[in-house]
Amino acid sequence: MRGLLAKIFCEVRWSVFWFASGLFLIMGLLTALLPKVLGDIHRVFEKLSFVKPLLTALLGVDPGDQMTSTMSQAFLWVHPTVLTLMWAHEVMYCSRLPAGEVDRGTIDFLLGLPVSRWKLFIAETIGWLISGLVILASGYLGHLLASVYLQPEMRPPVLVTSFVMINLYALYLAVGGFAFLISSVSDRRGRAVGVIFAVLLISFLINFVAQFWDPLKSSGSVAAVPEGETAIADRLGAGSPVSELLMPGQPRGQNRDGDASWGLSTLGVLDHYRPAIIIQTGQFPWHDAGLLLGIAVVTWTAAGICLRRRSICTV
Amino acid sequence: MAVIETRQLGRRYGSRRGISGVSLQIEEGQIFGFLGPNGAGKTTTIRILLGFLKPGEGSAEILGMDCWKASHVIKRDVGYVAGDVRLYPWLSARRGLRIVGQIRNDDVMANGLLLAERFQLEPDLPVRKMSRGNRQKVALVLAMAHRPRVIILDEPTSGLDPLMQMTLMQCLREMAADGATILFSSHTLSEVEDLCDRVAMIRAGSVVVDETLISLKQRAPRTVIVRFCGHSEVSSVTWPGGVQLIGRSEDVAHLELTGESMPFLKWAASQPFADVTIETPSLETLFQAYYQPDSQLQSEVK
Repeated sequence: MRGLLAKIFCEVRWSVFWFASGLFLIMGLLTALLPKVLGDIHRVFEKLSFVKPLLTALLGVDPGDQMTSTMSQAFLWVHPTVLTLMWAHEVMYCSRLPAGEVDRGTIDFLLGLPVSRWKLFIAETIGWLISGLVILASGYLGHLLASVYLQPEMRPPVLVTSFVMINLYALYLAVGGFAFLISSVSDRRGRAVGVIFAVLLISFLINFVAQFWDPLKSSGSVAAVPEGETAIADRLGAGSPVSELLMPGQPRGQNRDGDASWGLSTLGVLDHYRPAIIIQTGQFPWHDAGLLLGIAVVTWTAAGICLRRRSICTV
Repeated sequence: MAVIETRQLGRRYGSRRGISGVSLQIEEGQIFGFLGPNGAGKTTTIRILLGFLKPGEGSAEILGMDCWKASHVIKRDVGYVAGDVRLYPWLSARRGLRIVGQIRNDDVMANGLLLAERFQLEPDLPVRKMSRGNRQKVALVLAMAHRPRVIILDEPTSGLDPLMQMTLMQCLREMAADGATILFSSHTLSEVEDLCDRVAMIRAGSVVVDETLISLKQRAPRTVIVRFCGHSEVSSVTWPGGVQLIGRSEDVAHLELTGESMPFLKWAASQPFADVTIETPSLETLFQAYYQPDSQLQSEVK
């Protein structure tokens, strides 16, 4: 295993370094700049009507017309650049074995060594888990330094931030597991990357379109409200502990209008990553994190089985 | 005991033919030449032996273990070089030896560096700065550094200069003398003729020849050049069995002799010949016949 990890380290160290540095800078910059930019967001909402649904899709709750510091903190963790960096890293990483190795022909060398395919896959997985932690930690460090020195109001409690990061890491695992699965049935890395990005895009679009189209809505898609609390109650589903506090008497599993709480937007991956709700309620997202971890475990296992069973041909 | 054994091995690529009914037996210490034109099925057979491809039918074993199920166990004793060598751009011979050593849980550095020296390879030069031939050398060093019991080489000399080809042949002979079994795939007959004890030829996915080089050479046709004392006598000769006239010019006849040469020489002694030259058996001629799509010779051998 040591040799395989050394090989992985040689291969990915620079890309991980650049992604980690990028996230460090982006998180630092966003922490410093977001409160200023979002302070006047209502003017942007007035001029560009599509911005608000986009923001709602990202945050999972209606931000209202004024961005509070809570919303700014939440927006930091769902900013498209942050998500893109995380996803780009893992799509690149997870498409390496076997699709990338088959594509460039190096799989012959790798499979010529006395290691089982499962062992190869586990070594890749260890690299994936560690590199994700390194990149996420770098982002957090950028955010922490900028919030300490530049924007104290952007610093939520450490516990709440760790909840958000765990949820983001669970999202990272779910997307990576899926990427491994696509890679394990592909011989061309470009094709695998294309499919993974297409699915991520569709998943995001489901979240976005759900803002306008009722049949797609889950409990996470909410009507515009002036303050975040009612929206959060809707998002959690009536009957949950927090919504009980915010909307007493509503039966569990229904939103305010009495619709079923699970719509097609549940298929959108961002429906299960809602930093705004975590930051406002201060509660760990057991359901979302568990669901994402479940997806990760199922897709990762399927990927391993596919890799173990498939014939590999570079000619 | 057969170190490498396949029984009625078959594999298709969807509707395309791969190989079918390939049965081979390679004994310990043997250098086995695996010949065939491009696309004949050499690489497919090798990929099944290495556990890259699952056989569609039949079975493949190395050291008595199933090549698909126990692939990673088998590879502890196997060194493999692919036909079209692709390596990581950051890899150097030294770094590769360190990684391979860690994976094999064996110190391969010393032997690997000796091999690198024999192949005149810079151990610290990364692959991205290497020529094709040098990349081939890195792959050979990494495949042989752990002194494997079985070496599988898929067209290993492509890209190597003649001097390095000779070095490789010498290395392989030494390893075979130490008991290693070598499967040497090629489409160049001369290098197989120089190196191997036994040869199999695959054509259109099936093995058409599997014999020792000695018996093949006995069957291979020889070119005979006969010079007559006088011009008029060339057309009057009745040639014995096993001899075929393939050309003539003035007082010289070019013949193809199949089988033993002594009966022909005895017969020739009684003929009005000024001179007879018998060339060494030409495996090239024999194998070229197999490379032809509609070879009569091939059907005869079958």
